Amino acid sequence: MFARSSSRIFNVINISCIQSRSARAWVRKPLGSPMAKSKMFRIAPKKFIPADEKAEVKRLYDNYFHQMKSLRHYFFEQSLEQAESGEVAQMKHRLEEEEHIRLMEENRLENEKTAKLREEKLKIQAEKTRENILASLINKEEETRQYEIQIEAFLEKQKATPFIQAENIEKAIEEALANPVDFNFAIDLDGYVYRGRETAIEKIPEEERERLRSN
Amino acid sequence: MASAIPTFTKIGKVIRLNKHGCTNRPFYHIVVQKVKRKCYISHMKISITLKKKYYTRDNFDGPVIEQVGSYDAMPNSQHEKLVAVNFERVQYWLAQGAGMSNPVAQLLGLSGFLPNHPQTLIQSWKNRREPPRERKLQPIKGIAPPLDNPKI
Repeated sequence: MFARSSSRIFNVINISCIQSRSARAWVRKPLGSPMAKSKMFRIAPKKFIPADEKAEVKRLYDNYFHQMKSLRHYFFEQSLEQAESGEVAQMKHRLEEEEHIRLMEENRLENEKTAKLREEKLKIQAEKTRENILASLINKEEETRQYEIQIEAFLEKQKATPFIQAENIEKAIEEALANPVDFNFAIDLDGYVYRGRETAIEKIPEEERERLRSN
Repeated sequence: MASAIPTFTKIGKVIRLNKHGCTNRPFYHIVVQKVKRKCYISHMKISITLKKKYYTRDNFDGPVIEQVGSYDAMPNSQHEKLVAVNFERVQYWLAQGAGMSNPVAQLLGLSGFLPNHPQTLIQSWKNRREPPRERKLQPIKGIAPPLDNPKI
């Protein structure tokens, strides 16, 4: 007896777990079993079809497939035309149009609402910006005024200092020559001034010692 | 493969005969069905030696989408085998890209909706060549003359 291989019947692979009393459907001969005696030297008869018949068959099938292909394409194009012009398509088109109009109306109302809100906001903002600009302009004016005052003061100061102009040159030179400034002096911690490069403390009498006291 | 007309992609649907009826009384529904296994698409070139590997019943494939006609295989008292076909729906499904089984293609060819299937012509000249086979059932005798060749 050959071992019962797992069979595939109706896409159920292992049917052995289900108990059934009906006859088991034969799917195929078990793979390991030997060839039957009656089939050992059998040669399967091969149908002979003459060449002209084969050619005729091929011609018929070629023509048929060609025709079917073109027919399918024709049907397809017909279906496309129908889809655009048929009753169902027209109804769909009408419904879509209505829907479109309704939605556009809704959109328009929404837009109006938001436009109103936006206008109010913009008004408030415009006010604020105007105030800001005014304040900044005022500040700017203040600053320029202050600046001008400062410049005036500075110019006054500069004009007050004794500059030597072209006219005063000779006078200034004569003055400078007449009053030479001698920097060769030393100052004590107490403020006594010792002029000249070679003066010593002991040489000057007490009356002439103190000179610079104001700090 | 170069061709002027582009090829159709297979949608998983097929127009075929589903066998109903009972023992010794077949009755077929012409039906548009979803395909789960590789099956009949007669507009594609398949080798004529292709055989089914496992025992398949048509109803085990996907659900029936639409019934598009019927075919009564038993001749009635007037010696007619009645076929009903909804040509509009068949045209719709063919436009969508559904396949067709051989028998359905033959029936539609005989009806005139599609060109004649080569199988009809091949079978006809084979019937003319060979003598008819002996049959157990007697042909029904009625108004129409009985068929000479019971293979048809």
